This record gives sequence, C-alpha cells and structure tokens, in this order.
Amino acid sequence: MESVIFYIFAAILLFAATMVITVRNPVRAALFLVLAFFTSAGIWLMLEAEFLAISLVLVYVGAVLVLFLFVVMMLDIDLAPLKEGFTRYLPLGIIVAALIVVEMIAVLNAPQFDISAAQATDGSNTKMLGRLLYTVYVYPFEIASVILTVAIVAAITLTLREHHRKLQDPAKQVMVKSADRLRMVDLRSKKQDGEGSES
Amino acid sequence: MIVLSDYLILAAILFSLSLAGIFLNRKNIIILLMCIELMLLAVNLNFIAFSHFLGDPAGQVFVFFILTVAAAEAAIGLAILVVLFRNLSTINVSDLDRLKG
Amino acid sequence: MIDMFLQDILPNVLKILLIVVPLMLSVAYLTYAERKVIGYIQVRIGPNRVGLWGLLQPIADALKLLLKEVIFPAKSNLYLFLVAPVLAIGPALAAWAVMPFDDGMVLANIDAGLLYILAITSMSVYGVVIAGWASNSRYAFLGALRSAAQVVSYEIAMGFALVGVLIAAGSLNLGEIVLAQQGGFWHWYFIPLFPLFIVYFISGVAETNRAPFDIAEGESEIVAGFHVEYSGMAFAIFFLAEYADMILISMLAATLFMGGWLSPFDGIPVLESFFSWVPGLVWLLGKTAIFLFLYLWFRATFPRYRYDQIMRLGWKVFIPVTLVWLVIVSTAQVFDIGPWFTESAVITAGGG
Repeated sequence: MESVIFYIFAAILLFAATMVITVRNPVRAALFLVLAFFTSAGIWLMLEAEFLAISLVLVYVGAVLVLFLFVVMMLDIDLAPLKEGFTRYLPLGIIVAALIVVEMIAVLNAPQFDISAAQATDGSNTKMLGRLLYTVYVYPFEIASVILTVAIVAAITLTLREHHRKLQDPAKQVMVKSADRLRMVDLRSKKQDGEGSES
Repeated sequence: MIVLSDYLILAAILFSLSLAGIFLNRKNIIILLMCIELMLLAVNLNFIAFSHFLGDPAGQVFVFFILTVAAAEAAIGLAILVVLFRNLSTINVSDLDRLKG
Repeated sequence: MIDMFLQDILPNVLKILLIVVPLMLSVAYLTYAERKVIGYIQVRIGPNRVGLWGLLQPIADALKLLLKEVIFPAKSNLYLFLVAPVLAIGPALAAWAVMPFDDGMVLANIDAGLLYILAITSMSVYGVVIAGWASNSRYAFLGALRSAAQVVSYEIAMGFALVGVLIAAGSLNLGEIVLAQQGGFWHWYFIPLFPLFIVYFISGVAETNRAPFDIAEGESEIVAGFHVEYSGMAFAIFFLAEYADMILISMLAATLFMGGWLSPFDGIPVLESFFSWVPGLVWLLGKTAIFLFLYLWFRATFPRYRYDQIMRLGWKVFIPVTLVWLVIVSTAQVFDIGPWFTESAVITAGGG
C-alpha cells in the first residue's frame, strides 16, 4: 500500500516537473510547479516530516508560487523569442540529464542506501523541530531571520517607484485664504462699435 | 517496500529534470528561476529522506533553513525580474548583455 | 480488502459526509440569512415568496443554478477554466478535517492542526487566480491579480495572529487549544489576545474576499471580478466555496478565541449547573453564528476599501500590531501573568 502511494506520488511529481520545463506558457509552467510542490509535500508526509510538509505548502504553494504567478501574469511577455534554442538544446539537455540519472542510480543502488527500517521518532515532529531550532540551532535560526529581513528590505527597495500620487493635505485645504486662489482683475468694459448688430 | 535509495533516486531524477530545464529554457528567466526552485526541492527531498531513515532530525532542520533562504531568493529574484522588465521590457536572457541597466 | 473497506474507509467516509452535508445545508441557509439580514438592515423584507417566509428560496436558487447552462468563453483555457472551481471548493472543504466540534469530535486529530488549516486556506487563492486567468477576460484578470496580492498580504497578518494563539496555548492541536481555555469565559483568549483577535477576524474577512474587502469581485468596478465568465453550476461552486470559507473562518474564530465548544457559563456558580445539559456543539454553533452575523453586518454597513487602502491596512497596521502583541504575549507567557498564561494552562496542553 505504502509503495503504491509512493509510486503514484513520484509519477505525478516527475510528470509535473517535466511539464514545468517543457510547457510553452510560463503561467502553465507555474501551475505545474504548484502541482510539483504539492505532491512533494505529500511525499514528505510519507517520510513523517509533517511540519516541513505543511510549511512547504504554506510557504511555497501559498506564498512564493502565488508571487511567481502574479509576476508571470502581470508581465506582458512576448513568448516567441524565449523558446529559441529549445529544440537545439533538447538533445544536449536530455543527454546531460540522462547521464546524471544513470550515474546517480548506479551510486544509489549500493547496499549502504538500502535502509528500509525507519528510525522510530517519538512524539510530535513540530515540537521536536521547535526544540532543536531554539536550542542547538539558535544562531543559524537568527541568521536565517536576518536573511529574511534583508530580503524584504531588498525586494521593497528594488521595486519601489517614485509615487506620483495626488496626496491631499486637509490642513492646507482648510487654511486656504481667498487671496491665494482668487486674483481680482479690473477689466474695464470696452465700448464696441457695432452694438446691436450682434445676434 | 520503499527504501532509502528509492527516495534518493526520485530526488536525483527530479534534480536532473530541473537541470535539463535550465538547458532547454536558457532564454526565459522565469522558467530558470522555477528550475532552481525545483532543484532545491530535490535537495530537500534528499535531506528529509536521510533524516527519516537515519533518525537524525538535523536533516529536517537543514531543510527548514533551505526553505527560508529559498523563499528569500525567490522574492529577490522576482523583484529583480520586475525591475528588469520595467527597464528593458524583456525577460530574454540574451538581451541582458549590458552592465548599465 | 473488504475488511479494510469496512473498518477504515467506510467510517471515515460516513464522518466526512456527516461534516459536509450539514455544511452544504448551512451554506444554503447562510445565503438566505444574508439576504434576510441585509434586507432588514436596509428596511426591507428580503426573500419572502418561495415557501413560508421565503424559507425555500435557497433551494429554488440551487435548482436554478443547476439547470442553467455553463457557458465557456471563446479562447478561454477550457481545462483551467474547469479546474478553477474545483481548486476553490477543495481547500474550503479539506480544512474542515481538523475542526473539533466537541471534545474528541474531530475527523483527524492531527498534531499540527492549526498549521494545516493555515496551509490549506492559503491554497484557496489558486481557485480565484486560475479562474481569472483562464477566463480570457480583462475584468476577470484584474480580479485575479487583486485577489492574489490581497490574500498573500493578509495571510501574513493572519498567520501572526495565530502564532499568538499557539504561544498562549502551547499547542498546534485545535482541541488542545480549546482545552487550554477551560475554566470560564474570562479564560478565553479573546481577552488577553484582543488585538490579535480583531486582526484575525478582519484578515479572515479579507481572506474570504468578502465585503468590505471584496475588490476581487467589486461589482461596481470590475463587474464581478474573477467569476464574470462563470455561469450555472461552475459559478455555484465558487459561491459554495466562498460561503464554506466564511463558516470556516467564523468557526475558527470561535474555536481559537472564544473557547470553542466550552460553555460561556463555566465557573459561574448557579448558571454552570443550569446550562450543563447543553451539548458543546450547540455553544460552538452559537458562537459561530455570531461571527457569521458580523460578516453580514460588515457587508451591509461598510463601503468597499480601495486597493491601496487594503494594502496599507494589511502591511502597515495589522502586521506591526501583531508583531508588538506577539512580544507581549511571549513575555506574559514567560512570567506566568494572569489566568491565561499560567503554568497549568501549558501543562494541560500537553507540554511534556
């Protein structure tokens, strides 16, 4: 039963990944990326990493990929030149990928990776991770939070534009005197010659 | 029965797929960013598989940090992308050949 | 195989039906309540033709939507156009799996329940975004973009508000969070976490794209936003998802801040024994109904926010408020202040 679920999830994951790299439209690629991340969250659940699986869905599927989609949809991209060289590099890509896969499989079939008995973990996965993060890994944790803060600042400063907003200052509006807005001009009316001939 | 090497092979295939994606879509920055995310996902899968089968929670802690850094990377990458598109109105990598933006 | 079916699958399917069927019925009558409540707020009667007091109106509406034709716009992405409603309703229903209705009355008593709900509700934005994109319509597309930005922004404030609850309760399990609020209504978290409570509920209104945060729909500006092109049953599914999400947010607010299934008369000498026969579910539903009424009240009273005002409220008001209050909550937790943050509360929440 467990292996059936694993193979189904693995098949969906690999299918989604293949679609991400081959599909023409970036929006569809982003959507397949969503599928890939969601499926791998399922695989992580099988590996009893509940906290990370759920945070993968929360952080990636819920936020980062929405950001991707948002950007992809917002930019008006001309797709034609972006696919240049797709067929030209297709053989090379396949060869390199196949080489890596073959080599990795050759390495990974070694007996030392043939572990099936999972080590029993006791208690809540979330609690265990929390305890570790705030004790043993507290400095890396702080550094990670600094990195996130820097990322926020960087992203905002990068995309910030000068705003040409028409901001109204109510105080100034109230303080206005009639002399500031209105100029009285003394226009003497000129006697016109053909008076009465106007219709 | 699913053993450790099954997960590792799955992660290896995923990694090589995303590598092939970088070869194939070398003009499109967005797809390149997505491929990097997929690579990190493959790496994370390896970490979690090892952590599960060897009973060492350090792997999961590491995945936590990778997720953090990858989220930051994606945010900044997309911000740079938006600025690029605003200035050059293209996201074609081959058009990005000037140091002055 | 049949043994496994009888022992594992069948009871769970029955339990799921026991949640989903009443949920769908409450969605139907929530629409009725909405029209009635807003009607009375605007000094008119509301639906009163079909059945006694118009009580059969939702059923008539459902029949009408079922029988209408689903129209596929030209040049729309047909596949995604059909997937979008499914992606909207899926998370709205899946989130109910961890909701505790009474002590132990929960479909899946998982450890990280709160996190699960956050993750699943964050998925609901995809239904809106994909619907907007696949429709091949400018209005729908604008709605999708607005919704994507809005939901992602408010998720952060909502997440922080929930972090406050989990710090106070010392657990991510919704049942344990309710049990940590035991001992009278002054133990409920809406008192010590009042700012977080307010932020949570307003973010919840924004997450469900309801008025006054309904810029994704915005009838008066972008026609109907992401679902302009949807008709018939496809539209009805979006409708179902929105209302199921509303009920979910309201019930979560009741669970996390108002003591869930706990009686409000706990710890009060006479009233406690007087009301002890009332099942917890009734209290939970009553509290949920209050929040649902607030939803309708908001819709009837507030004008729609502008897009930039929504962003300002989310990023510049809610997130700083939650951050400050998180520091206060953690300090109170460390120094055992008040009846809420005492050591015993942590122990009952399984602090081992």
